[in-house]
Amino acid sequence: MLKYIFKRVLIFIPTLIVITLVGFIISVNAPGNPVERMISTAESGGEMASQTANQQEQKKYWTEKLGLDLPVFYFSLTSLSRPDTLYKITERNEKEAIDRLISKFGNWSEIHKYNADLNLFFNSLIRFSVDSSEKALYDLNDVTETLNQLKFESLSLKSSYELKEIEAKFKKMEALISKFSFLKKFQVSLDSIQTDFLAIKKTATPWKNYIPKIAFYGFKNQYHRWLFGDGGKYSNGLLRGDFGTSYRRKESISNVISEKIGWSLFFSLLSVVLAYLVSIPIGVKAASKRGSGFDKTSSVILFLLYSIPSFWLATLLLMTFANTDVLHWFPESGVKPAIGYPDGAGFLEKIKISLPYIILPAICYTYSSFAFLSRTMRVSMLEIVGQDYIRTARAKGLSERQVIWKHALRNSLLPIITVFATVFPAAIGGSVILETIFTIPGMGLETVEAIQNNDYPMIIAVLTISGLLTLVGYLISDILYAIVDPRIKYT
Amino acid sequence: MIQEEKNIEIKTDTKTEFSVSFDFKKYAWKQFKKNRVAYFALKILILLVGIAIISPVIATDQPWYCKYKGVSMFPAFSVYNQCQITDKSTGIEETIQYDIADWKHLDAENIIFAPISYSSNKTDYDNAGYVSPFAKQLFKNKEGNETNIPLKFRHWLGTGKAGEDVFSGLVNGTRISLSIGLLSMSIASILGIVLGAMAGYFGDNKLKTSRGSFWTFIVGLVFAYYYGFSVRSYFISDAFSISGFEILVQLLISLLIFTIVVAIFYWLGKFVGKIPFLKQQVNIPVDSIVSRLIEIIISMPLLILIISISAIAKEKSMVNLMIIIGLTAWTGIARLTRAEFLKVSNMEYIQAAKSLGINEFRIIFKHALPNAFAPALVAIAFGVASAILIESSLSFLGIGVPPSTVTWGSLLNLGREQFSAWWLLAFPGFAIFLTVTVYNLLGEGLRDAFDPKLKK
Repeated sequence: MLKYIFKRVLIFIPTLIVITLVGFIISVNAPGNPVERMISTAESGGEMASQTANQQEQKKYWTEKLGLDLPVFYFSLTSLSRPDTLYKITERNEKEAIDRLISKFGNWSEIHKYNADLNLFFNSLIRFSVDSSEKALYDLNDVTETLNQLKFESLSLKSSYELKEIEAKFKKMEALISKFSFLKKFQVSLDSIQTDFLAIKKTATPWKNYIPKIAFYGFKNQYHRWLFGDGGKYSNGLLRGDFGTSYRRKESISNVISEKIGWSLFFSLLSVVLAYLVSIPIGVKAASKRGSGFDKTSSVILFLLYSIPSFWLATLLLMTFANTDVLHWFPESGVKPAIGYPDGAGFLEKIKISLPYIILPAICYTYSSFAFLSRTMRVSMLEIVGQDYIRTARAKGLSERQVIWKHALRNSLLPIITVFATVFPAAIGGSVILETIFTIPGMGLETVEAIQNNDYPMIIAVLTISGLLTLVGYLISDILYAIVDPRIKYT
Repeated sequence: MIQEEKNIEIKTDTKTEFSVSFDFKKYAWKQFKKNRVAYFALKILILLVGIAIISPVIATDQPWYCKYKGVSMFPAFSVYNQCQITDKSTGIEETIQYDIADWKHLDAENIIFAPISYSSNKTDYDNAGYVSPFAKQLFKNKEGNETNIPLKFRHWLGTGKAGEDVFSGLVNGTRISLSIGLLSMSIASILGIVLGAMAGYFGDNKLKTSRGSFWTFIVGLVFAYYYGFSVRSYFISDAFSISGFEILVQLLISLLIFTIVVAIFYWLGKFVGKIPFLKQQVNIPVDSIVSRLIEIIISMPLLILIISISAIAKEKSMVNLMIIIGLTAWTGIARLTRAEFLKVSNMEYIQAAKSLGINEFRIIFKHALPNAFAPALVAIAFGVASAILIESSLSFLGIGVPPSTVTWGSLLNLGREQFSAWWLLAFPGFAIFLTVTVYNLLGEGLRDAFDPKLKK
């Protein structure tokens, strides 16, 4: 037995690693710039063109904190034309532009020179200020406007990769520079950028893109840090319960989860308990009187219930029982009154206050798993009732009641244990919809809001955690099964 | 008993002169027909498929026929989107753009509208703001006065907030729901049947190959991925912002390259496997690999996985959704096919085929699969039901499908804002319920028909 459990746990580990990998791959490919999301948007008036030194510093801090200056994984499959150090470019658009240029021309050294000159140009542009002696000569508004435009053009040049687009930008920048004589020194560096670009086109080696290469990066990478942390400097790692920071709430995801998990857990447990309480008697009764009126009607009703989409039932219930036009028996949304619980209310009193809020969601949470469980229960019970030992029990004069509830039920409960593992993840997945409809402040609603706000760390955390919980559920049900059923020998 | 019957069926397949009166397919069909409920469900499904096929023609605001200034047009059937019309008396040229023309107020000589004369993605301003199917509906006549709506322009199932026609949305949504179910399940079936069949047939120790060919094959997979997907990554990601068709084309090209490279390396492996040191036989634990893969996918919460993947997709599109559902929904099919192949692979006719020296893959797909296909079919029917459910829950949440596409789920979502608009909740919800039930019933009917144990 112990050996079996040990073996089972061993298999569990690679599966877990793959699940974290899937979550990680999704988060790496998430669109948008995480750093810009983290920097407070208070000074976002000029957006791109107004990059102050302070912002640069903040950027650097968040890049390091989010680990974006590290390579993505232990190794990567790239081409001969790509350098191993491409990950050091932290700006996402810039990286993509460079990567696309490489995939077109395949000559990194020239592209690198082009990019370096472009950065040099951009940085000197940011630091540039007009001499006070010259300020008097020109219209100040016009000067700032031109400078801002120039900054914007050069910044967007960094993320351009279409030839025509780049050349058009060169022309536009030249026109801007020629506007003022004091900008002349930029013309020189712009010329060098243009010669760099010509060099890229001239010495193109696209064949290098077709030769694969594997680059190794060692343990200092984003995945390793995400999983194991970096010794507590920025992250403690997933394995120590540190899921990172939520973009939306700007607080640790573990905090958000511990705050939100309560209601989700409450509803999924409630639904499992209620479903078991209802479905076992129904399944048993239907099976013991096979072909009777009860069996037939309950089968039809259960089948229909099983096919009703939960979001439809939920909206229909709300429409009928929480609608001021029809019946206003229950509140429309939430789990407690808007003003909150009265001060000093005990646990029981809180439940009593919340009860009207809970009833409708509880029905929706329960009915589908209860329909499924009843049907499973009926089938497994039917199989048991045909067995020899049931006939023996009847032959020795036990009452029908005793035969069914004592001898048959026990054995037919076995398949339901395995069902337990599938009911649990269903409760987690299904809650996304139901929590949204009933506005229950749980994990499901949090996930939907995270998705609507592109809060990827949160989404990935939810994905990984629920995958983990499901795996644990399977593990427990397998072990329970092995303990409960002595007929099964595990090796 | 049933084994023999299946064996006989194989003989009829090989087109020898020998023929028997028993045919398992006919037998299963007869059993299925006896199940009145399932047979009825099949009829409804055929009806739904019919609606889905003709939906762009029966629910559109473009008329079937229109005669305007002496020119006859068939906008609803036309592949062109516009028509040049020259006014004979004045000589003024006029272009009628079929998709944006205001047909209902056109001064046409003769015009025949579709039975549902609204498009699902267009709105009727005169009847905006949740108009009930029974309430008074308005129509602006040619003089610009608000009058009672003519019968042919009535919104039979009411409208939404902006004046969306619910009936048109329902009819056009059928096409979307059914095609999502069909296409995603095609992907899932191919994956599930191939993987499940290999796992069940080869088990953990029946697929043997030389060390040399094994490693050549693994290296080949890396190269195939590189040339198929890595090099072409920008083509594929650009396609996602163009159109669903473009995505499919690019993915197919990638898959083709992948297959060719794998085939080349497979062929190379045969030579590498002849080198003395690399000649040694190795076991490929196909069953373990596939079982782990299934375990990984079923332990992911499907809805959250799909939501997260569609959240990172730059452009929302139906094709995305189909591919994601297809790639995650194959596990049930694979498990059942695997179980069936475990049984079939030890039967005499397979042994006989093996002893005749028939290629193993030919045995799997030509001889064993027809007998192991039945359970997979059951799983596919249930799979379509759940795929439709997933699509509608996603569009209900407003995730995964483009906002301009009207689906049953998105109609239901419109109704969530206004509970008094019962028609927005009742009809689309019922459509989803009906389709899901039909597929579930079909699945149950097929299971009963294929399983002779249940026959009394």
